[in-house]
Amino acid sequence: MKPESGVKPRLFAILQKEFIHIFRDPRSLVIIFLWPILMVFMYGYAITFDIREIRLGLLDEDLSTASRDFVRDLTGSGYFRITQRFSSREGIEHGMLERRFTAALILPKDFGRDLRTVREVPVQLLVDGSNVTTATVAVNYLRSFYSLRTLELNAGTFRMPFSVEPRVWYNPDLKSAHFIVPGLVAVVMMMICALLTSVTLVRERETGTLEQILVSPIRPFEMVAGKVAPYILLALLDSAMVIVFSILVFHVPFRGNAAFLLAASLSYVYCALSIGVLISSRAKTQQVAMMAAMVMTFLPSFLLSGFIFPIASLPLVLQAVTYLVPARYFLVIIRSVMLKGVGMAALIKPFLFLLGFGTVVMAASVRRFKTNLED
Amino acid sequence: MRKIVYIIRKEFLQMRRDPPMMALLFIVPIVQLLILGYTVSTEVRNIRMAICDLDNSPVSRELADRFRHSRYFQIRDVDRQQTRIGRLLDDGRVSVALVFPKGLSENLARFMPTGIQVLMDGQDSNTSTIALGYVSGILENYVQDVLALAAGRLEGSDLHLLRVEVRVWYNEDLKASHYMVPGIAVFLLTLVTSLISAMGLVREKEIGTLEQLLVSPVKKHELLIGKMIPFSAVGFIELALAILFAKLWYRIPIVGNLGLFALFSLIYLFTTLGIGLLVSASAQTQQQAMFMTVFLMFFFIIMSGFLFPVENMPLTMRTLSYLDPMRYMITATREIFIKGATLHSLYGQGFALVAFSGVIFTFAVWRFQSRMK
Repeated sequence: MKPESGVKPRLFAILQKEFIHIFRDPRSLVIIFLWPILMVFMYGYAITFDIREIRLGLLDEDLSTASRDFVRDLTGSGYFRITQRFSSREGIEHGMLERRFTAALILPKDFGRDLRTVREVPVQLLVDGSNVTTATVAVNYLRSFYSLRTLELNAGTFRMPFSVEPRVWYNPDLKSAHFIVPGLVAVVMMMICALLTSVTLVRERETGTLEQILVSPIRPFEMVAGKVAPYILLALLDSAMVIVFSILVFHVPFRGNAAFLLAASLSYVYCALSIGVLISSRAKTQQVAMMAAMVMTFLPSFLLSGFIFPIASLPLVLQAVTYLVPARYFLVIIRSVMLKGVGMAALIKPFLFLLGFGTVVMAASVRRFKTNLED
Repeated sequence: MRKIVYIIRKEFLQMRRDPPMMALLFIVPIVQLLILGYTVSTEVRNIRMAICDLDNSPVSRELADRFRHSRYFQIRDVDRQQTRIGRLLDDGRVSVALVFPKGLSENLARFMPTGIQVLMDGQDSNTSTIALGYVSGILENYVQDVLALAAGRLEGSDLHLLRVEVRVWYNEDLKASHYMVPGIAVFLLTLVTSLISAMGLVREKEIGTLEQLLVSPVKKHELLIGKMIPFSAVGFIELALAILFAKLWYRIPIVGNLGLFALFSLIYLFTTLGIGLLVSASAQTQQQAMFMTVFLMFFFIIMSGFLFPVENMPLTMRTLSYLDPMRYMITATREIFIKGATLHSLYGQGFALVAFSGVIFTFAVWRFQSRMK
């Protein structure tokens, strides 16, 4: 048997070599398998904009039953927690500077009496705007609390004529993990297939082993295919782990068709690989490849895909850019399959985009790769 | 001493001879400053909405108008029947649908409470929660206006209104960029300095030049210092870039003392360079070094409060976040930039950073020295 001849044995030899590279380094291997698990836990638990227990400083100048009731009901909602009480305005600014609370509520003298006699009763809220997220939420909570209070106050004369009846579809308990965790698949696959492959291809060039491979009978296509194949396997394994963990730990439903998801994943992997090969066809050093991969793959998949931050809230220019981010389309697919359970028909457009994107970029980069090798 | 200078010069020469790398060292931060400053905002806008008006009365039309004029919603579809809504949600063309029931205005006139159905695509729970808040807010506002009108008409009646005066300090317009950009500066410093120091050292190992350096008369500590100084310089250039962007592009008034910020950055650099050094002591290839560093970065970013407020996290996560040195640096930077905090209110952060830097860097140097034997 002559292993040197024929496409298959040569491809197999490269594959074997790359596998040996990966398995010789147990540390990376541990990271590759530990990473998705840790990501699932961190992202599943850590990301929530459901802000509660905002630390509140309180100055109650009235000290009446009415003011105490007001404060009790406000903190009883769970949105605010009083961390410091003041007897005068002095010290409030200092307390905020030292981050002892995010907002301070001031109930004026005669608050209780005014509630019964005066038409408009002012309540003051001072907010530390340096933490925009919490500050916005604090203001909104207080606003809706006082609208409710206003209505309660006038319950004798006036009733809230509307009741809002929310019906939430697809994610009835509004769990952020159901949204975020399946999305991790898009980031994980992009990291492994684009970041790691672009670097591994450039490595051969940087360390000089590329020339040795090129004078051997191995063709460029065989080399690229053999080198990236193990990463495809790793990426799919990692993705499967993310999906399994999201189902087991966070009870994310899986309503749709697994086979279709696999097909979509493969076309997404194809996109990621095409970008990886494109970068490696141009970069001369691994550092350059890595930096380029960061800008072209990691950042857009994380920030411009709707993974965490909604696309509709972006400025228009950035919204336009998101149409070129494969992760955007893959996220629509994986979320629809898992949470909505909608069929292939509704997802054919994003699926075709992924295939098209991958093919265009791959064609450009393989061509580029060949000319670069012949130089 | 002279030998250190030689190493430093070699490093800078190497950087200069690698124009793509130089370009990327500037392009990467600029792209991040541009994207991150705009992406991360808690204000959810342009929520796509469908309205199904079964009442078709002046009241329901007025309500629909209020939603149309709100900058939070984008009305994509108005219909008199309820048949299409399911499809619109399924296809993802809208994420919220309102149903004004028949008899809305009659009920209102007779003070009968009416249920307004809000159908929501709950996939993105954060956006949905916020959207529901907006819907309630707009309805409440409408009621308040009707109430105020009634109060005006019924002079001397028993209506009382609470009025909340909100005063925001330090960042009056609650601009997200004021909050994010100082964080991006820290993120860039962390990412770039730890990555280039990790990969830079492993590169010499991988292509075999490290051995040559080690058999040369250069001592190990000289090699280390000579390598670390250029990496620190790159870090400070990134910071300068971030500050420039903050001032000129985002027009953020930096109220604090930049000298204090530089001091904190310098202390923090020992942490990031220490991490790079630790990684390079264990990694054999640049790929490994990169992967390990990126792995650490994921932990750092999530736990630091850079993107997601630490206060909201479950207790375990909050406890873990104390192990993230970036957390202290992010807090200190925001406090200095936005609030003009002085050293006096940042002792805690300063102390934590000194401790982290001391421990990580010492350990890294020890590992590096013993690995090189």
